Amino acid sequence: MTDLVPRQSGGLSALRGRLSFIDLVQSLGLMAVILLGSLVMTTLSPVFATVRNIENVLQSATIIAVVAIGQTFVILVSGIDLSVASVLVLSSVLSVGLVQFQGFPPEVAIVAALVAGLGVGMINGLAVTKLRIPPLIATLATMTIARGFAYIYSGGTNIAPVPKIFVELQASRIFGIPGVIVLTLVLAGIAQIVLSRTRFGRSVYATGGNPLAARLAGIKTERVIIVAFMISGLMSAVAGLLITARFEAGAATAAQGMELAVIAAVVIGGVSLFGGEGNMGSMLLGVLLLGLVQNAVNLLNVPPNWDSVVSGLVIAAAAALDVYRRNYLEAGMRKKVIATKAGKQPKPS
Amino acid sequence: MSVADRAASPLHDEAPRAVLVARGITKSFPGVLALDNVDFDVRSGEVTALLGENGAGKSTLIKMMAGFYAPDSGEITVDGAVLHADPSSAHHIGVATIHQDAHLVPAMSVAENIMLGRWPTRYGWLQMKRQREKAAAALARVAPHLNPSTPAGRLSSADQQLVEIARAISEDSRVLIMDEPTTSLSPPEIDRLFAVVEDLKSKGLSIVFVSHWLDEVFRIADRVTVLRDGRLVGSRPISELDHDKVIRMMVGREVRDTVISKRPVGDVVLRVSNLSRENVLSNISFEVRAGEIVGMSGLVGAGRSELASCIFGIDPYDSGSVEIGGEAIRPNDPKAAIEAGIGLVPEDRRRQALVGLMSVKSNVTLSLLDRISNFGFLNMAREREIADREIKALAVKTPSSNTRVSTLSGGNQQKVVLARWLARKPKLLILDEPTKGIDVGAKSEISELILRLAEGGMAILLISSELPEILTLTDRVLVMRSGRISASLTREEATSETIMSFATTG
Repeated sequence: MTDLVPRQSGGLSALRGRLSFIDLVQSLGLMAVILLGSLVMTTLSPVFATVRNIENVLQSATIIAVVAIGQTFVILVSGIDLSVASVLVLSSVLSVGLVQFQGFPPEVAIVAALVAGLGVGMINGLAVTKLRIPPLIATLATMTIARGFAYIYSGGTNIAPVPKIFVELQASRIFGIPGVIVLTLVLAGIAQIVLSRTRFGRSVYATGGNPLAARLAGIKTERVIIVAFMISGLMSAVAGLLITARFEAGAATAAQGMELAVIAAVVIGGVSLFGGEGNMGSMLLGVLLLGLVQNAVNLLNVPPNWDSVVSGLVIAAAAALDVYRRNYLEAGMRKKVIATKAGKQPKPS
Repeated sequence: MSVADRAASPLHDEAPRAVLVARGITKSFPGVLALDNVDFDVRSGEVTALLGENGAGKSTLIKMMAGFYAPDSGEITVDGAVLHADPSSAHHIGVATIHQDAHLVPAMSVAENIMLGRWPTRYGWLQMKRQREKAAAALARVAPHLNPSTPAGRLSSADQQLVEIARAISEDSRVLIMDEPTTSLSPPEIDRLFAVVEDLKSKGLSIVFVSHWLDEVFRIADRVTVLRDGRLVGSRPISELDHDKVIRMMVGREVRDTVISKRPVGDVVLRVSNLSRENVLSNISFEVRAGEIVGMSGLVGAGRSELASCIFGIDPYDSGSVEIGGEAIRPNDPKAAIEAGIGLVPEDRRRQALVGLMSVKSNVTLSLLDRISNFGFLNMAREREIADREIKALAVKTPSSNTRVSTLSGGNQQKVVLARWLARKPKLLILDEPTKGIDVGAKSEISELILRLAEGGMAILLISSELPEILTLTDRVLVMRSGRISASLTREEATSETIMSFATTG
């Protein structure tokens, strides 16, 4: 057996292998916006460039980021998962409630919360592939149902106190960096390796890029889609554990509307809503940018009611940029395609 | 309809006058001359059949008359009014086109569809009553059995077509173009359609009728106009013609009969037995042996691609079996077909074969993921090695193997699809219109490759609408018509005329 992750194709050559030039521009563009924004913020607010504030921004971004890792898989197969925030809440209340109400050991509660996430993901995947319900509708249904169960189970209020393991997770530091940030980066790293280095990852891109061609090449596209939804469910459940740790409660009422923030972050991060295009690196930059905007809004004392307007404008700007980029790219491709297509096809019917 | 009837019609005293006149129509697309200085007349109160092989230029001419394309040179006039390249101009001067698939808004009623975009209003308010009346008047002439308030989406395709004709009548169209109107109709529906056509004709409407079925042409047409390779071959009254003459006009060209050394033919690789799929394929049986190239000819819509889809597991079938090397393969599962040793180069490579966003390399290895991975992890070095080898073997012109496949030319894209299968070394390779839309150079390279593969012992099923390709490459020709194999011809029996004749009649 050969080296699973050949060293020589890491680094820049890996970027060249997976990312086209345009993708690179997208990542660099996001990075430039983030750096520029940070510079401006440093001059505007004395608090911004403090370790404490940066850590705070990153910590709050971790929950969105972990959900977004799963969402990226779903969007890459040209689906969408609206149930993520509800799964997160369900996982959070289960992780505490099973200990508090049923007296299970915390480890069992955690595994049960993750299994619940996988289960909802599987239901989503089956509904989309076997019942052919559009992903938007299928996950809208499970979103409502999962949150409903979370309310029923918790009685609609937060469950506290949390088992010690969550307090330890929140307080943990690895080389001085908060453990949850390290965990998020590790998860994103694994996800990126899965995408770029495994058969499943390649199948994800092919299924999202052209499902018919993928099927005709022998890829079990339905299975790929189901697994993508299961990853999304699992990641949302993991994020549910993180939110339990952060709030020190089984958070029954948290994450209202978070699914939209996650989708926005993923799209800002260059993952195409049409599927087949995107990677974890730029996606994380998208999450970071949204987090920074939120932070800026807080630090600059923008009236709280305005912060969603500002976030919305950022999303609109990013989406417009993405469409512009895509059109620019496709205009170049189309010229060639038309030239060749019309070449020997006098019957364009 | 006899000449005497026509003379009795009040509109014309003598020979029917030309309503639509196209003069010197030339249209080229990059790399091909679709229409070359074509003259075309549609006479008042006549049904003109427009015939030609696939790619002869019929569709281009129709689209031009419907206002979708502008000719590079030449002019189309209707009763002296010039047609501009704009669909609304065509409607305005009285040319209505009934496309192969009905263009109706499914959720709207029959009446609303008939009046589509011309809904009668007063001060901006829709006048339902006037709409119903106008629609009913048009419906009464072509489809009195339809209820004007039924949603169009609930109608059969035959009735939808009648609604489109009613729309054309309500617009006071003078020329009605029908592009293969009978393809999705049953025999009684065809009879009803032809009765409507006869009626419209007797009222002075001119009809352009495009069909591949010569029987229908001889039933309904007064005049036959034939195009070939973008040129007008001739336009003659039906009374001067018979089946053979029409086929000769359509085929016409000299077919060079290059003699290919006969290859040794091995064991049966593919055996299809009694394969049937409702309304698509009926009772198809044939074999392809190792080292044999079997051609599959027929007109568009005869069921050739559908057959390939069933063999390769893309579509399910109702009965029958597909065997490779004596073993039946699971239906409706492309993966099973691939594992059994079948490769398919589909007709529409951009839609069915390539993932445009992916690199050339990833597209080559897309059906090889099982062979380049260990425990689910891709062996990138092996992937690169295989891709580079195949890219080199087929001389794919690409800046690098990491280039996006969608930026390559059509011929090179096709080579990428071929490379994918050659890397797998299938026992049977199905090629569906492998040289469609690619330049001449790449075309001959692909032809040579097909011969080389057969010499190497691969069984090949070649579906092609290009008769020269079929005649020069294949050992045997199966001709399909209406979902059946209408003939199995040996090399010696297969000529343009015999193939065309089995494809259109019998």
